[in-house]
Amino acid sequence: MRRALALTAILAALLGTAPAQEEAPGLLLEQRVFEIGRKLRCPVCTSESVADSAAELAVQMRARIQTQLEQGRDEAEILAYFQERYGDWILQDPPKRGPHLLVWLLPAGAALLGLASLVVFVRRWRRAAEVPVEVDEADLERVRAALDRG
Amino acid sequence: MTRLLLVVGVASALGGLFLFGLLRGRPDRDIPSNLIGRQAPEFTLPLHSSYRSSYGETFSLGANAGRPMIINFWASWCAPCYQEAPELATAWRERGTEVLFVGIQTQDRGRHAEGLEFINRFGLGFPNVIDDASLVSIDYGLFGVPETFFVNAAGVVTYRHIGPVSSAVLEAQIGALIR
Amino acid sequence: MLDISLGQLGSGSTLLALAAALYGAVAGVVGALRRDARLQTSARLAAVATFLGATAAIVLMELALLSDDFSVSYVASQSRIDSPLWVKIVTLWAALEGSVLLWAWLLTLYGALLAVAAPLNVLRPWALAVMQLVQVFFLGVVATAANPFTVLPLPPADGPGPNPLLQNHWMMAVHPLLLYLGFVGLTVPFAYAMAALITRRPGSEWMTQTRRWTLTGWGFLSAGIVAGGWWSYEVLGWGGYWAWDPVENVSFLPWLTATAFIHSVQVQERRRMLKAWNILLITLTFALSILGTFLIRSGIVSSVHAFGDGPVGPIFLAFFIVVMLASFGLIALRWDQIRDRAELDAVVSREGSILVGNVLFLAMAFAILLGTLFPLIVEAISGEKVTVGAPFFDQVSRPLWLLILLLMGIGPLLPWRRADSQRLSSNLAWLLGGGIAAGLLALLAGLRGLYPLLTVALAGYNLVSLGLLLLGVVLPRARISKRSVVAVFRSYAFENRRRFGSMVVHFGVTVIAVAVMASSAYRVDEQLRLEFGAEVPFQGYELRAVDRFMEESPQGVSAGVEIVVERAGRTLTELRPRLNLFGQNPQLIPTPAVLYRPQHDLYLSIAGRLDPEAEFVVIRAVQSPLITWIWVGGLIVILGTSYALSPGGRQLRERQRQGAVRA
Repeated sequence: MRRALALTAILAALLGTAPAQEEAPGLLLEQRVFEIGRKLRCPVCTSESVADSAAELAVQMRARIQTQLEQGRDEAEILAYFQERYGDWILQDPPKRGPHLLVWLLPAGAALLGLASLVVFVRRWRRAAEVPVEVDEADLERVRAALDRG
Repeated sequence: MTRLLLVVGVASALGGLFLFGLLRGRPDRDIPSNLIGRQAPEFTLPLHSSYRSSYGETFSLGANAGRPMIINFWASWCAPCYQEAPELATAWRERGTEVLFVGIQTQDRGRHAEGLEFINRFGLGFPNVIDDASLVSIDYGLFGVPETFFVNAAGVVTYRHIGPVSSAVLEAQIGALIR
Repeated sequence: MLDISLGQLGSGSTLLALAAALYGAVAGVVGALRRDARLQTSARLAAVATFLGATAAIVLMELALLSDDFSVSYVASQSRIDSPLWVKIVTLWAALEGSVLLWAWLLTLYGALLAVAAPLNVLRPWALAVMQLVQVFFLGVVATAANPFTVLPLPPADGPGPNPLLQNHWMMAVHPLLLYLGFVGLTVPFAYAMAALITRRPGSEWMTQTRRWTLTGWGFLSAGIVAGGWWSYEVLGWGGYWAWDPVENVSFLPWLTATAFIHSVQVQERRRMLKAWNILLITLTFALSILGTFLIRSGIVSSVHAFGDGPVGPIFLAFFIVVMLASFGLIALRWDQIRDRAELDAVVSREGSILVGNVLFLAMAFAILLGTLFPLIVEAISGEKVTVGAPFFDQVSRPLWLLILLLMGIGPLLPWRRADSQRLSSNLAWLLGGGIAAGLLALLAGLRGLYPLLTVALAGYNLVSLGLLLLGVVLPRARISKRSVVAVFRSYAFENRRRFGSMVVHFGVTVIAVAVMASSAYRVDEQLRLEFGAEVPFQGYELRAVDRFMEESPQGVSAGVEIVVERAGRTLTELRPRLNLFGQNPQLIPTPAVLYRPQHDLYLSIAGRLDPEAEFVVIRAVQSPLITWIWVGGLIVILGTSYALSPGGRQLRERQRQGAVRA
């Protein structure tokens, strides 16, 4: 067990210092374009992202993203550029503010609530397992009657 | 009893939500424009060849500042654009002196000939420009074609119409623009 | 006599089936209440009659499609004379009306099977009645609001043909059918659960009765989802298979709850606990499948796959509400009888791991449902329009998947009741060792990032787990019986089909997990401009556009590019991505071309238009590592499920024993 833990620590250390993969700059830029495109919704499509759509506007939005990356803008600035023109709707992720935070918090809340209620139930069930089953005469009578019937 | 109430509560909440959805109709329609109440984005675009003699090589928003304006986005492949074009042509003939009309062919890269055909078919007298890279589309936050923007004399967008525009809408919005 | 049209015959058959279902439901309920065997028998006969009526309707619709009878409204709106045979056949489920008819028919098929083959007991009449009530709804929709058989007084000479996206690939023939078989299959355990509540026998009877139905339904649903992913990959042109589109999500929700269900029923089988929970799960699964059909057919969520907004939206909504009220209401009324007096000896046990797994599956289902409905909720409350797209679902589901993989490895190794701590820590050491070894190997191989490394580590951990599971049963037996390990393994796998099948399924899931991670985290997208004749490098390949081609078929026109794919000077293949126009439909449908390879796929699709005069063509090239293994993993899951279902080994002998007793 201890050895396993040590190995995990080494792994974690390696993760922190891992060098980034080397790739051709052109390709890297293109990957960034698609990456950002995935975070934007194609305005003229039904439920497709800018990265996924083949619509002319989506293709030109990708070109727009590329130009802005080449101008040295970062992802947040590019997303803000589109958000300013199209509103929150254009962002694939709902904005992380105000009531929209609920969509981010509720799933985590639900998972935690589920686990918490599991803990409550488990406690109850474990207590039940420790107590021997108590049966009174009436219950036994009912079971006997049921057995006779069926 | 509380459990039954819980079931009824959840069912009616979901029912209400979906009923709202059904009444609202299709999603992704009429997404409010982010431009209302803001300055209309500037653009300078090349004119279609038939307008160059009277308007020059390019048309820019800034050069025409101070006048109320109607900006109509269209494409040669878009069926509803053919539906609205006659209405726009008529409105321009009647109110073209009070309001500046400009058409932008967009999301239609490279199809200038088809664009000219569209213009000649409806005898569009107001200037029409070419937005080959759909840049102005993006600046105006377009969800599709046709869309029509109404800009007042101060250069502020007052209204945006999605889909084919009717003479009634044009009349009402022009009235609001020049008031 | 020949004046009767196919449309009239079809409407007539539907009405007959509807009447039979209605009669069967009433006779079944009255017969069950009065314990009248004759009425119960007549309800069963009615189920068979309903099936025959619905089958007639299906056959008539196929006849109308194949004979291009455009006086039938569905044929007129969905079919085309020039479509190939297979397209005409599958046009049955290419649009709303037909898909509801297919759903109804599968329901009647399962109902008839239930009536004929299910063993007689107190539950059967009620279960059958519940099935028949569901049939009444679907057949009622087919007979009224979505009647595909409406006779057109002035039939057109030809129709527009089905949705072009659906004509594009043969997967379309399979995917909806599998999905519906899954949804409808899961109606059977639901019907039995309801029967158990009605008859106040909420024990384990309903569950053991429907074990095979449940697993069959789950298997079909899994197959349908994987097939849908493959169809998207082959057709949609962006090199992905799952876009977290609302319609994809709602088909996935019942799968999640059904997966939780097939695990937690084992706890009830072994430990007689979770009675209420299992009834809740299967009811939820059924309710979610109805919710899905409603959302797909109402057009209230924005989706590529929606059937559009027909008149049936409100009807399906009403049915969904009725289902919610009736089923959960019944559970609420019977709650005092179904609540558990459960006992749990230790959390670290098989049942404990399944419980935690259940929480994770449900949390995932909740998150996906919330994300799917969130834009609607926000709009209803504040009128704002927001989007909840793929990045949200990726971020929310990834940690849950990793936790599920973690449980999937350790859970099956834990014994029921209580784990022996010495055995547990030795198992854990092996598992962690396997996980860390796999993680380190991945790191050496150049993988970076927390999510890819964790996935690979968990895959290694799961492989070790499967190895330990097998060795744990095979080695001791081999030692005792002095037979060879292979022989013991074969007899174990043969005898314990359910157990071995589940290991195969878990192996398939591990394969899918790695493939999903690799294909999404290491995918390379590039938009390439190919000059004709020139070689363009892409990820170690040389792509050379040779020529344009144009093909005309009765179905439509396709134009595309021939692209020679070379690697290290050797020609691998020629790919022909194309754009299609089907019939009169103006929508351009791209068909990508894929070079399937075990290490990665090369996926080419034409971006935008194909200019006949230009010197070049713009294509989108995607390289997705290991993506083929998603389909392979899916196949393994299906094989494992089928194996678990196949009669043999213990079950076969039990049945023979029962036969002997009966004789």
